[in-house]
Amino acid sequence: MADVDSSVKEAVVEALALDDDEVTPESTLMDDLGAESIDLLDILFRIEKSTGVKIEASDLGDYMQGGIPDDEFSDENEVITEKGAQHLKTVMPQTDPAELAGSLKADEVISLFTVQNLVEMVKSRGDGAG
Amino acid sequence: MTAPADPTVRVGIDAVAVERLRRLVEGDEQRQQGLFTPRELDYCRGKRRRYEHLAARFAAKEAVLKAFGTGISQRMRWTDVEVLNERSGRPRVLLAGAVADFAERHGLSQLDVSLTHTEDLAFAHAVALWKQEGACAST
Repeated sequence: MADVDSSVKEAVVEALALDDDEVTPESTLMDDLGAESIDLLDILFRIEKSTGVKIEASDLGDYMQGGIPDDEFSDENEVITEKGAQHLKTVMPQTDPAELAGSLKADEVISLFTVQNLVEMVKSRGDGAG
Repeated sequence: MTAPADPTVRVGIDAVAVERLRRLVEGDEQRQQGLFTPRELDYCRGKRRRYEHLAARFAAKEAVLKAFGTGISQRMRWTDVEVLNERSGRPRVLLAGAVADFAERHGLSQLDVSLTHTEDLAFAHAVALWKQEGACAST
């Protein structure tokens, strides 16, 4: 597999038409870099082409939720539970469960997803694919 | 249909560059099927400006999700929002899967969408009417 770190960075830079130094591992795709859905699609297609790892946009939600049932990941108001926040810490280590639990809406989780988080996701999928 | 007592209106708008959409999906059936339903692909297949129509449908999917106060998240799939055309040409939206579940859970009452496109850009505007005040977050 191609070097995942550089493949992901290159995909983000090219899909969003950014300068190389504008994209850091800590940059959040949506909030910091301004990616919209079609940008995300473009990024994922580019990564598939360079690494062979296929990720669909809907896979991001599955990855972030980690198989936790909806009613355990977030409460009746769609706010992340303690269990959900603890899981997010495993796939998005930059997050603080104490800060997220009880305040972050489930559909806002993707706004915290960084370039490095995407790198790790691609690596995990690549490992899984053998 | 009678309007609900305390409706909440949310709108969503999106623009898609036709050439970009074309570049992403042209010649790749699998990608097309990941973004569009068989009926959407059938409708656009015979069109002279096929990618303008596909771009408008992609914009509509995003506009609907914006009107729902969410992006493509929580396991929603692009094909969960389907844009069909009535005989008059008026677009009509059908929901499925995780998006339909979201709509039902939050009390969606009515949903309408309008599309337009030029050679370069496609736009869609969605309006969602929800039964309960504050039932759906806005972005």
